[in-house]
Amino acid sequence: MTQAATNASDLMVEMHNVNKWFGDFHVLRDIYLEVKRGERIVVCGPSGSGKSTLIRCINHLEEHQKGDITVGGVALTQDVKRIEQIRRSVGMVFQHFNLFPHLSVLENCCIAPMWVQKKPRKEAEALAMEYLERVRIAEQATKYPGQLSGGQQQRVAIARSLCMHPDVMLFDEPTSALDPEMIKEVLDVMVELIHSLGNKAAVDKFVIMGLA
Amino acid sequence: MIHNKETIPEQPAPKGTIGPIAWLRSNLFNGPINSLFTLLGLYVLYLLVVPTVQWAFIDADWVGSSREDCSRVGACWVFINARFSQFIYGLYPSEEYWRANIVFAMFFTLIAWMAIPRLPFKRWVAIFALIAFPVVAFVLLYGGYFDLPRVSTNRWGGLMLTLLLASVGMIGALPIGIVLALGRRSSMPIVKSFCIIFIEFWRGVPLITILFMASVMLPLFLPSGMGVDRLVRALIGLTLFQSAYMAEVIRGGLQAIPKGQEEAAAALGMTYWKRMGLIIMPQALKMMIPGIVNTFISLFKDTTLVMIIGLFDLLGIVQAALSDSRWLGFSLEGYVFAAFMFWIFCFSMSRYSQYLERKLNTGHKQ
Ligand SMILES: Nc1ncnc2c1ncn2[C@@H]1O[C@H](COP(=O)(O)OP(=O)(O)O)[C@@H](O)[C@H]1O
Ligand SMILES: [Mg+2]
Repeated sequence: MTQAATNASDLMVEMHNVNKWFGDFHVLRDIYLEVKRGERIVVCGPSGSGKSTLIRCINHLEEHQKGDITVGGVALTQDVKRIEQIRRSVGMVFQHFNLFPHLSVLENCCIAPMWVQKKPRKEAEALAMEYLERVRIAEQATKYPGQLSGGQQQRVAIARSLCMHPDVMLFDEPTSALDPEMIKEVLDVMVELIHSLGNKAAVDKFVIMGLA
Repeated sequence: MIHNKETIPEQPAPKGTIGPIAWLRSNLFNGPINSLFTLLGLYVLYLLVVPTVQWAFIDADWVGSSREDCSRVGACWVFINARFSQFIYGLYPSEEYWRANIVFAMFFTLIAWMAIPRLPFKRWVAIFALIAFPVVAFVLLYGGYFDLPRVSTNRWGGLMLTLLLASVGMIGALPIGIVLALGRRSSMPIVKSFCIIFIEFWRGVPLITILFMASVMLPLFLPSGMGVDRLVRALIGLTLFQSAYMAEVIRGGLQAIPKGQEEAAAALGMTYWKRMGLIIMPQALKMMIPGIVNTFISLFKDTTLVMIIGLFDLLGIVQAALSDSRWLGFSLEGYVFAAFMFWIFCFSMSRYSQYLERKLNTGHKQ
């Protein structure tokens, strides 16, 4: 029992025999994946092979039909409360950024800490500014997403996820919607973040990236 | 290539490209066909405007107290003057007008407060307008408390009744419409089918039938002695009817929001109601301002149908006044007045919605 418990706290994501169908189409077949705290993983494969689907199953944006998924020791079931608990500890960066266009950059980063984690506004804003600084976009904090370039938007999206202090970060093709010049700025930020966060034991992360 | 190190000095625009003459030339007289249409248009305008102005202003009678004061060929605004207070208050007793006046003053102050951006405490004013104001307005208008004599609702009428019907309808239809629209998109089959049946029922029946059924058939189903006020029945019918339309307008807005928005909100751990309330609805409502205001405007005009169940709204009371034997033959003036009043309110709503659209535009098109 004790052995299992320590193991469980080490393993951030476990997928055992995960199967998923879209209608009749068998996308994920017997997926087995274990990722430890601090580990970084890149999932590769041709377009349409199911990388996005795999990643999206981890925070239940897609539902798997067979097998077990456990995130941070919490088994993923149909239970909405559990799904929300897992999502709070899993950050996700999307291919098309999905920033909230009606909110400023700062508000994009504050809204989840304030409404999900119930942080006071002051604290949430200070935290957001810290992460915006890290992704080197703090000077744009009052702008709206529609006024930023693709690379800038993606950096904001990364900051928005990090503001929730997630244990797991999922990147689904974070640069494939960007022009070549912008890919570099986003990748630089990601590499830097992974190093700076990975060196602090307390905030060890593991990262899954899907790259086409 | 000439390299010029100096800044080229500013020069005036070439002659004939700016100013009123140039504007006329480029917009109204650029080419023989456009010139012809411009002249034709001006002629038609002339044919319409001159007699209208002649009738409504130049040849009109403005002061007096009876039809004998209307000797001239133009409009007889004396009639409107003589009946003005009835058009505003309906059959409300004149010694109690002050109560209606207080409600009117509060109503317009609250609207202006919400509409003027510089004024502070918007949130508290909104809460007051939605919770305290209806109670205060009801107590004042209906009476029965604090020594205020009771004025039964069948004496309420005119503009007062029109504004009451329209604002209760609007304020009721928006939240019910939001809930119905969300329900219609729900994955729970029972909720979904209930919302679809509700929406399709109310949308498929003419409002006039609903009002008629509410006034004639509802009493048959209710236990005898339990009379529901006629005005309340009209309000319920009107609100449910409009909320079905509102639901479809809002559903259209919800469908226009990319799926990624809800996914991003979900990935941050937000619950369903937070995703809707913080992320999806604000965007959808913003996008739907023209559709919502359109529904409000048609609701405002639809309130005139309460006439058929014996309530005298602004148009109803004007029509009633037309059949007064002392004032026969002034129906044109009556209808022009009613049309003008309706136009003022509908046009203001339309302008305000355009202003809101511009103000809320954050320069995004994702
Ligand atoms: N919502 C869906 N409904 C049906 N089929 C889908 C859906 N989403 C993805 N697919 C299919 O599943 C397969 C894997 O998709 P995806 O995970 O997006 O691939 P990748 O990210 O590796 O390019 C593709 O063949 C795609 O057509
Ligand atoms: Mg993909």
